[in-house]
Formats: sequence, structure tokens, C-alpha cells
Amino acid sequence: MSTLIDVQNLTLQFRTDEGLVTAVDNVSFSLDKGEVMGLVGESGSGKSVTAKSLMHLNASNAVYSPESKITLYTDTGPVDVLSLRRPSELKIVRGGAVSMIFQEPMASFAPALTIGKQMVEQLQLHSDVSKTQARNLSIEMLDRVGISDAGKRIDQYAFELSGGMRQRAMIAMALSTKPKLLIADEPTTALDVTIQAQVIDLMKDLVDEFHMGIIFITHDLGVVAQTADRVNVMYLGRLIEEGPVRDVIRQPKHPYTQGLIAALPKLEDLDAPLTPVPGDIPSPLERPSGCVFHTRCSQIVGDMCSAKAPTERELDEEHKVACHLYSDLHTEAVQ
Amino acid sequence: MTDVLIRAEGLSVGFQIGGGLFRKDILKAVNNVSVTIEKGSFFGLVGESGSGKTTLGRALLKAVPITEGHARYNDGEVDVDIASLEGPALKDYRKRAQLIFQDPYAALSPRMTVRDIIAEPLEVMRLTKTREETDARVREIAAKCRLNLEHLRRFPHAFSGGQRQRISIARALVSGPQFIVADESVAALDVSIQADVLNLLKQIQADMGLTFMFISHDLSVVAHTCDHVAVMYLGRLVETAPTRKLFAGPRHPYTKALFSAIPSLDPDDRGKAQKLTGEIPSPTNQPPGCKFHTRCPNAIDRCKSEEPQLEGDGSGHEVACHRWKELLELTPA
Amino acid sequence: MSMNDTQDQRATALDQKAKEAYFTASQGQLIWARFKKQRAAMIAAVLLAAMVISGLFAPFLSPYDPTIAGRDKDYTNGAPQIPQFCDKNGCSMRPFIHAVERERSLATNFRWVTKINEDKRLYMQFFVKGDKYKLLGFIPGSVHLFGVDEGKIHLFGTDEDGQDIFSRTLHAVWTSLKVGSIGVLIAFVLALIIGGVAGYYGGWVDSVIQMITDAVRTVPAIPLFMAIAAFMPPELTAEARFFYISLLLGFINWPTLARRVRTHLLSERNQEYVLAAELCGAPAGHVIRRHLLPSFTSYIIVDLVISFPYMVLSETALSFIGLGLKDPVSSLGVMLQKATSADVLLNYQWYYIPVIFFIVLVMSFVFVGDGLRDAADPYSDQGK
Repeated sequence: MSTLIDVQNLTLQFRTDEGLVTAVDNVSFSLDKGEVMGLVGESGSGKSVTAKSLMHLNASNAVYSPESKITLYTDTGPVDVLSLRRPSELKIVRGGAVSMIFQEPMASFAPALTIGKQMVEQLQLHSDVSKTQARNLSIEMLDRVGISDAGKRIDQYAFELSGGMRQRAMIAMALSTKPKLLIADEPTTALDVTIQAQVIDLMKDLVDEFHMGIIFITHDLGVVAQTADRVNVMYLGRLIEEGPVRDVIRQPKHPYTQGLIAALPKLEDLDAPLTPVPGDIPSPLERPSGCVFHTRCSQIVGDMCSAKAPTERELDEEHKVACHLYSDLHTEAVQ
Repeated sequence: MTDVLIRAEGLSVGFQIGGGLFRKDILKAVNNVSVTIEKGSFFGLVGESGSGKTTLGRALLKAVPITEGHARYNDGEVDVDIASLEGPALKDYRKRAQLIFQDPYAALSPRMTVRDIIAEPLEVMRLTKTREETDARVREIAAKCRLNLEHLRRFPHAFSGGQRQRISIARALVSGPQFIVADESVAALDVSIQADVLNLLKQIQADMGLTFMFISHDLSVVAHTCDHVAVMYLGRLVETAPTRKLFAGPRHPYTKALFSAIPSLDPDDRGKAQKLTGEIPSPTNQPPGCKFHTRCPNAIDRCKSEEPQLEGDGSGHEVACHRWKELLELTPA
Repeated sequence: MSMNDTQDQRATALDQKAKEAYFTASQGQLIWARFKKQRAAMIAAVLLAAMVISGLFAPFLSPYDPTIAGRDKDYTNGAPQIPQFCDKNGCSMRPFIHAVERERSLATNFRWVTKINEDKRLYMQFFVKGDKYKLLGFIPGSVHLFGVDEGKIHLFGTDEDGQDIFSRTLHAVWTSLKVGSIGVLIAFVLALIIGGVAGYYGGWVDSVIQMITDAVRTVPAIPLFMAIAAFMPPELTAEARFFYISLLLGFINWPTLARRVRTHLLSERNQEYVLAAELCGAPAGHVIRRHLLPSFTSYIIVDLVISFPYMVLSETALSFIGLGLKDPVSSLGVMLQKATSADVLLNYQWYYIPVIFFIVLVMSFVFVGDGLRDAADPYSDQGK
């Protein structure tokens, strides 16, 4: 059984001053051990909220639907993440079997504690090691992620390190508990492009070495193309396309994915005009009816798109799309 | 022979950091930079953190003081030295040179309606005499930026990032400037919106005959929009060329590394990149000689002690590297 | 089908209106909308408004003059008299109280013995003519909301001089509000100027002003008041004294507000939209007026509301120890001065009824201030 985490019908709403706002709508996917999945989306797509759900980390005003189910397969058996309540239970998903790294490394290190103190604390929380053992493990980890002089750096504060090094330190801290699943939320967005390349390389090496599953959240399709085995594309809380990375990027099926790839400026063809996806991303308060993308779609199929939300269909080889263009009725009509 | 709008020579911008009363540490964010911006061009300025690109942009707008060097602005009506502008001459320059900010969420006052935000430059600079005149001009510019009448009555919190950026653009355009610095103006936007805003900028440039300086860290965006690109590293200009030439054949080792660091959209194109080792040196602790030598795969002894100057081959393509000629010969055609 | 359509259309039209209202709402309107949603804050606001109105109309609402002039010599240290509608002789439409008779009795060591004459009813009357007063200080009048046809009615009882505690309480609330307002106003003006200069210019100007602010802040309030009270000539009229005390409170409390103003300014100063205005050549006056001041108006209002209770309590404490206001001006502190003997504690508990009013007053300010503060940041979580 190589499935690492299985998400079924995840629907999540937030209670706000303006009412119940849907952030994630009926998302289902699963990840295998050692697999790297890219979770792609723009603002309002719900990708960060989905990832935080995997660690049951969302704010207290989050309302999960009763059908939502997230199952994590650990060494000791399956764990139903959304039903965890007590801190002792939640420990498994928070820093234990599942670790998370963030976009802003400065935000995940406490400014008044040295990096070493935080890493040691994390290790001692999740495993039975002594302080010395924890410290040695941490130094080893810092070295492994390419931080020179790890023995000295471990006693430095987060603000003393450069952006790239902080990000590496955060990766080291996340990996020191040997998690089975690493969630990386836009880890390279805030980095310079030359540093980003280094960090991406590092993560790929670590996947090979630790055989972890990684969910790589980003809006940058280039980064996904370079790191992921599979891609899941989200728009306004719905999973609209998923599949092996080569298939989705070379032959995108959903109009949104196609628009996204077309909107990217490509270095190979400097003469090509930049084609944006028309319109604006609707505010979460104004979710379109039926298919959430229909307000901006250039390939609408009659009335279906505004009336009914399309369900996912498997096209070939695990490449799934949620679009009426590929529904039975339509393909029959076309034929 | 196209007109030159801005000619900067030996421009340096230094900041005093720490030190206290007696010791003055000067951090040179921009160090001895010379650029020529032609009228009507879309000039790209590329670099990573610490490169000084934002400071250079702001220096050309006289938003930060210029500590050394000159920058001449000549749009046919006025001909001034930006470094020594003050008083009424500075006020006049402000009408001609404007800035579009990066963060659409911070650049608009949350307490003013869109109409007031766009009208503010007109009111501050006393460019219109009556409220009707102001309103008419605001509507004209708003229409150019695809904002309609009902948008004008709303407050910024009603708009998305892309729309806010259009409001920012409208505000920059309303005083009728000749020169606009767009500082990472699409960096904070979603990809599907970026293209929209970029197209808008190009269209405005064509319509109004403006000159843009486009500051960005995103090479692909720069490649598609700019006709001339300059690359900066640690406060210095390391390479500058017309866009096509630069992307067809970068000459500086840093530019080459920058290009290959861009993650390719082709999943099979992995591992071919030339990865740079090490970190960008801190601007307060710059290495001697060529600033890039600590990470350069082609560095020789000379690079550690002697700073290279910009040299060209006459085609507009200039590089600041001791070994650019021999590296050019070494690269396979 | 068409019915549903029009219903849907109407629903979406209303929806659209609501959304448009949200889009065109200014910051003030947004804050008010958020404030309205907080139950506790709204209740507190209503209570506060009620207290302010009752204070404004205190002379009209209270049956008697709160000073010695309006005292009831025949009913000193008298218990509260609650109006009733029914007694053993039947019920009536008009509320009444029973007449009270007093006599000194040998049996109780010549203390007053109060006997309630249950057969004699004193009916309450409304809009009676009574002691003269000046509403808001200058509108003369003599009509009071209620009274009795014969004798006097004391809803909260009387104190040792026979002064009606109900009347005194209403006037005391109003006095505290007045003193608090003046104190807050003075503190605010000082804080705005001093904190404003420090926050706007920064640099060494800020450092120097900070040092002065901190120095003033460290001065202990009570000894300072005692010193100044010692200097105040006892011949000062009540009004003059009142004015000086308010002034003093303002002068002692400005450092806290000044620090807040400075902090707000320093952070707003570096906002990008301020820079955008400066890049248009906007002069300092325009930047301050159009951008900086509006940006922290809501925060400053919160700060002002929250500093009110401190002013009120400071004045109460001062008056209580005799350094603040004195008779005939009534304030809680002055009233409590009479409530310090064991006799009062054991026998005349109604002296403490005003305390409840003050607790309500102070807590209302606190809840309203908290509510405003929670509502004042509609933009803090906005962004991406």
C-alpha cells in the first residue's frame, strides 16, 4: 500500500462578517509515498487552505462539511486527520508525520530564540531523544541542507541568516523529524531566482534520499515542471485538472489551465503576444454558479456551464479534468 | 537618431548606515552606473536583491538623493540635471516623471475613493482649475486604464490586485508624465492578470508616447515587454543590450547564470541549468574587485582585485567583465 | 416559473445593492457596520448614551437641588423610598410613597426613629415646579420631572445633611463626564501636537521628545496632585477648582496618548501611498491632512474613549482624599467622602448606590472602547 494521504470530498467554509465563504469545494485527491505533487493555483484558489487542512491547521472559524475526510497512512495505521482533537493526537500531523515549510522563513522562526533552540525543541517534542542527541541531529540536518559552518550557525538567530539560508534552515527543521509528508507552501516565491534554483535542487535531492511525499504549493508553473511528478490545478476552491506533469503541461485540457500556460511569457518565443485569461478572479463572496470558471471561459458549452458544476472525468492515464467539454453529453454531440 | 530622454553617468546613491555620530558607514546601493534611456523606449532593469535596481529607479525620480554623478533629463521642453533639482524645478520634474509601485495593496490609501486617489496628483500639482476639469481628466485617464464610472465611486477594498494596479497606473498617468518608472509593478499579481497589466502598459506607451523604465526580477516578463535591458548586480551595471541580442547571447557570467536559473516549463529540461553556488554578498560587505567573482565559475586572479568597466562592441551590447571576449570565443556558436 | 424568476431577480438586485453599498462604504461606515454587530458594545453604547442624556438633563430629572440648598432637614440619613402602586389600603393608578414621621426616642438613645405612616399617601406628581436650576449652565428653569404633593421623595435615600442621593448621583455622573471630557480634550490636544511632531519628523526630534515624554510619565500622580492641591488657594470657587482639576488631569495624562499618536504616525508615515503623494510634490500639510490624520483617526478615537475611565477614576480618587473637587460640586469622590465611617457601612448602605452607577459608567466606556477597537481595523486582515 503506497498511498500516503487520501483526501475525500474536502469542503471548507469560513465564517466571516460577510457570511459563510467557501474556500474549498469538494476536493479529492491522493498522494503516494515518494511522490511530488504540485498544487497550482492563483489567489483565492484555496490551495493554502487545502494544505493547512492536511495538518488540521485552519483557523477556528473554519467549517468542514461532514463528508470531508482526510486519511493519513502512517506506520501505525490510518489516521483520520479531521477528527483529531487533543494536542497529543494532533502532534502526529503537526511536525510528526507531516511537516510544513512556508513562504516567509522569517515568519516561522521565533525571532528571540536561536535556530538551534527551536530545532531541538521540535525534535524533543516528536521523538525520545536527549538534548545532546537532538543538537547533533540538528547540526547534521543543517549540514545536509547545505548550510556551511553548521556547528556555528546553529547558535545564530534567524535574522542573522540571509533569505536563502533561512529557507534552508527551515527545510532542515521541517525534515529533522523525518516526516513522511512535507507540505511546502510557496517556499521559493520570496527568494531570488538564483537562490530558488539551489533550493529546488536541494528539495529534489531530499526527496530521493528520504523517500518523502511532497505537496508543493505554488503559482509558478515553471517550478512545478521542474520538481513535480503530478500536478493538481485549483481554481476558486475546486480541483479542475490533475494528472502527470508532462501531460498537464504539454496537453492541458481545462480552459483555465490552457489559459494559465498561454499567459506565461516564454523565453523561447519573444515575439508571441501575452495572452491573459480574460476578466478577473471573482471574489470569494461572489462565487459563480455552476462551473466556477464559466465567467471567464472562452469555450463555454451552452447553458450547462452556468447551471451545473462539472464532475471530474478521467481522460487517460490518470489525467482528470472537471469540465463540460469532456462530459459524455458533449463529446457525443461533437461526434 | 532617436532622442535620449535620460542619460545617467557615474551615478551613485549612498546611504548612511549605523555608525552613530563619529563613524559613518556608507552603503552604496547604486555604484557608478551609467545608462542611456531613449525616448519612447521600454527599458528593462533586471536584478536580484541587493542589486540596487529599485534605488536606481527612485534616484532617477529624485525620490532618493543622488550622492555622486549626473543624470540628465531632456524631453524637448526641459533639460535638467536630476541630481541638482530643487524647488520649483523639482516640482516641475514631478509632473514629468512618475512611479508605479509594486504592492497594489499598500499603494492606495484605503480611505480615499478611487476618484480622489486618481485626482490627487492633479490637485496637489494644481494642474486643473475647476472640479469639472479634474473630473473630466480623471474620467479620461480611468477609461484608458479600463476603469469605468462606477469604479470611481468605490474604495480600494472593493478591488482585486489587478484592478488596484490599474488604479495605480491611472494615478501615475494623470499628470501627463513623459517618463514612468514601473517598480516590480506586476510582481505581486497573479500570472493570468500579469499579462493583462503588461499589455495595458504597452498599449499606453504606444498611445501616449511615453518612456518606461521597467524594473523587475522576472526575466521572462522583461524579455517580452522591453526593447532594451540592463542587468545589475550589487549596485553595478554588469551588462546592457537590446533585448533580442541579450537573450540570444548573454555575455556576462551572471546574466548567463540568471537565465539558466529560470525554471523551464519543460519537465524534461531538468538538470541542464548552470547552478550558481553561494549567496549574494551582503551590500554592506562587498567583495573587492569584480563583485561577482565570489560566485563566478570563470573568475581569474585579475577579477579579485580589479573592477571591470563596461565595454561594448559597438552594437549597443555592453558588458562589465574582464574575460568577456575570450568567453565569447569559447562558447559554441 | 416567471414568479421564481422575478423573485430571483429581486433577490439578486438586493444582493447587488448590498454589495455596492459595501464597495462604496467609507471607512467610517465600515467601522460602524462592524461595531453594530457586537452585542456587548452596542448595549454599552446605549447605556452610555443614556447616562450622558441623564447627565445633561440632570437638573430636570432630579427632584431637588443636589447642594445643601435643596436638603431635607427632616429626613437626614433617610432610607430610600420606592414608589408603589398598591398598599394595604388598595391600589391606585398613580404611584405613591408613604409619609414618614420621625421623632427622637428615649429608648434608642435619642437617635431618630423613623415611622412609616401607612395610612398617609403622598402621591407622585410629574413635571412639578421645584428648586430653580440652570440647565446646561445657562437655561433657567424650575420644572422637575417628578416630585410629591407634600413633603419630599428620596428614591435613593439621603445622606447625613439630608441631601437627596438620587439628585446627587445624577449630578455626579454629569460632573465626572464633564471633568473627564475636559481632561481628555486637553490631553488629546497636547498629545496631538507633541506626538505629532515627534512622529512626523522622526530622527533626533523624536528622540528628544521621547525623553521629555518619558520624564513626564514617570512623575507619580498622587504626590504631584498633593503638591499642587497644596498650592491651590482654598478661596477658589467650586467652578474654578473644577476647571483647574480638569486641566491638571489633562496635563498629567498626555504622555500615554502622545506615545500612541507618535507610534501611529511613524508607521503610517512610511506607507507607500504616502510616498506616492510625496512623489507628486505634496507639501507636508497636505500629506498630514489628507493621509496621516485620517489614517489614525479611528485609532485615536479608540484611545480617547479608553482613556476616559482613567480620567473619571483619577478624579474620583482625588476628590475622595480631599484633593479634588469639594462641596457643593457633587462627584462620586465627594459623595464617597461622606461614606467612610463604620456607621454608614453598617446602617446607611444606600450611600453606596452611586457606586453602581459609576461601575456602569466606567464599564460602558471600556466596552465601547473595546468594541470600537475591534471594529476599527477592517483593513488589518485585508490584502491577499
